[in-house]
Amino acid sequence: MTWTLTMIAVAQLPVLCVLLAAGALAKVWTARGDAEPGALGRLGPAVLVPDRLRAPAMLVCAAGETALLTGLLASGHPAFRWAAAGFFAMSTYVLWELRRQRPDVGCGCFGEVSAAPVGLRSLGRTTVLTAMATGTVWAPPVSGWSLLTAMTWPDALAAAGGLVVLAALSPEIEEAAARIRHRAPCEQRPMPPEQALHRLRASTVWRAHERLLASGEPVDSWRELCWRFFVYPGRSRTDEPVDVVFAVYLSGRHPAVRVALVDATGQPVDAGTLTESIPVSARG
Amino acid sequence: MPYRSVDRRRILAAAALGRSLDEPGPAPDEGDAFQAVTGELLDVSPHLILIETPEGRHERLVIAPWATAWRGENVAPADLPRGANVIIRALRSGRVVDRIWADITRITGVIRSIGAESRDQTVELYCGPHRGHRTIVVPYGASGRLRVRHPKFEPGYLFDAIGVREDGVAKARLPATSQPPYRWTAVPKPPPGYGGTQSRISGTATWSDAFDYAERGAAYPMLERSDADCQDTGVSCTGLPYLALGSTLTVRNVCAGRTSALPLAACGCMAGRFCDRCLECGTSPRGRIVELSATSFVELGGDLTKGCFNARIGPG
Repeated sequence: MTWTLTMIAVAQLPVLCVLLAAGALAKVWTARGDAEPGALGRLGPAVLVPDRLRAPAMLVCAAGETALLTGLLASGHPAFRWAAAGFFAMSTYVLWELRRQRPDVGCGCFGEVSAAPVGLRSLGRTTVLTAMATGTVWAPPVSGWSLLTAMTWPDALAAAGGLVVLAALSPEIEEAAARIRHRAPCEQRPMPPEQALHRLRASTVWRAHERLLASGEPVDSWRELCWRFFVYPGRSRTDEPVDVVFAVYLSGRHPAVRVALVDATGQPVDAGTLTESIPVSARG
Repeated sequence: MPYRSVDRRRILAAAALGRSLDEPGPAPDEGDAFQAVTGELLDVSPHLILIETPEGRHERLVIAPWATAWRGENVAPADLPRGANVIIRALRSGRVVDRIWADITRITGVIRSIGAESRDQTVELYCGPHRGHRTIVVPYGASGRLRVRHPKFEPGYLFDAIGVREDGVAKARLPATSQPPYRWTAVPKPPPGYGGTQSRISGTATWSDAFDYAERGAAYPMLERSDADCQDTGVSCTGLPYLALGSTLTVRNVCAGRTSALPLAACGCMAGRFCDRCLECGTSPRGRIVELSATSFVELGGDLTKGCFNARIGPG
């Protein structure tokens, strides 16, 4: 039993290496091709730093991933494995913070492919990666490279299992499939407003706020990139007239839906305890 | 669906997505900013110009020694007629005149019919659902220059010229582009978007007089038809992302190195039909990606008589 667990844990080392390599390459690719206005404006923790530092921040992140990758491949020292666990744990926290502060931006984990807003799946992925990295700490101190070159069938199966779990937690795969099918990124694909309205009305955010609305028909609706907005007249908890604005992400089967209440002067109104009880439907 | 206001959309979108609510305007730290001053010319001397702005204010500006003016052709600033509508590119917080364009107009549309009045030609154009139909005159003296750049001078083809307004009539003077060789309904499809999410798009920025005189803003071709109440929109030969009236667009003049964030205030349905290039500084990629108000165009360092600059745009 212990032997099996150890085998599974050590087999995740190549998985971590693949993820780190892919993440570093994609980040360098995105940062390198991006020196113009509006760039990096929707990607990852880079949005939390000033404009001019966004490309360097992404490159620093890529450099960190490359250092970890090199360490894990070349050495079996536990320090690198602890560092990897720390890196993924920190990433989980940063994504959580990003989701709270900027719900519209993607995680940027794999550069521009990760443009979908940070959801529970992205958070789940970094949590699983943290667990995988922590697991390798107790595995035998062999280098990732020697493991790769002498991989046995049970190792390969365990690694494939890890990859499947990570793939299931990757919203990027849906967007990549949509790109292959439509040959255009989400923001260039036409999408009828009725379809977005249907997705909105099927969301938990809609059901939680429906009673605030004074009318069932939106007074304004518009599309910006991969988001469609619907504005309804409504009343706040203190019975003030407000605009209730919903934003629906247009990609994925269970798209993210955001909501805000804005008064006549343009100030956001707190929805009170209501928001705390709302399960966010962002699974994309 | 009733459309409310550009500003309100910006506020609501920022609230829903937790974005910061940045005011549109020029990017800081780009040196001495150009300022566009518009109004009616009241008086002019070789060194001073007095204009009345659309708000009724009188503005007195110093004319720089190198300043030039245009009214159908290059003229000395002191030769401009009183009563002309001018747009001035000014330096030093809008106090020093660098360049003046008087009674300038942009004539962009589809040729509907061509008639002849003596040696001049009268052309009826369709300028999109918002501007409607427009009748302009191609004076005999300018027709050679215009026809060279508009080889398909017949109904159904695009027309783009810069002209002057004289006695309420728009007279074309200069071609603003090389006419696209296809009919206006046969715009080439954009290349497939294999490149992934675009955060910046390169192409041509032009200007239009469809805006109010001193308005700052942009018209954009890729709006959803249901949002913009415009059946001609959503066409472009460049792979553009969908935006809406009220979105903010960052526009960079690659030639002058100036950047500004502008609100989308109109539908650029006619601009999207032009799959042309700008040759202002090097050759731009194909396609008009944005149409600016004259004021915004001037403040980004564009020359109204040249009609375009190479631009890079990005949302937000």
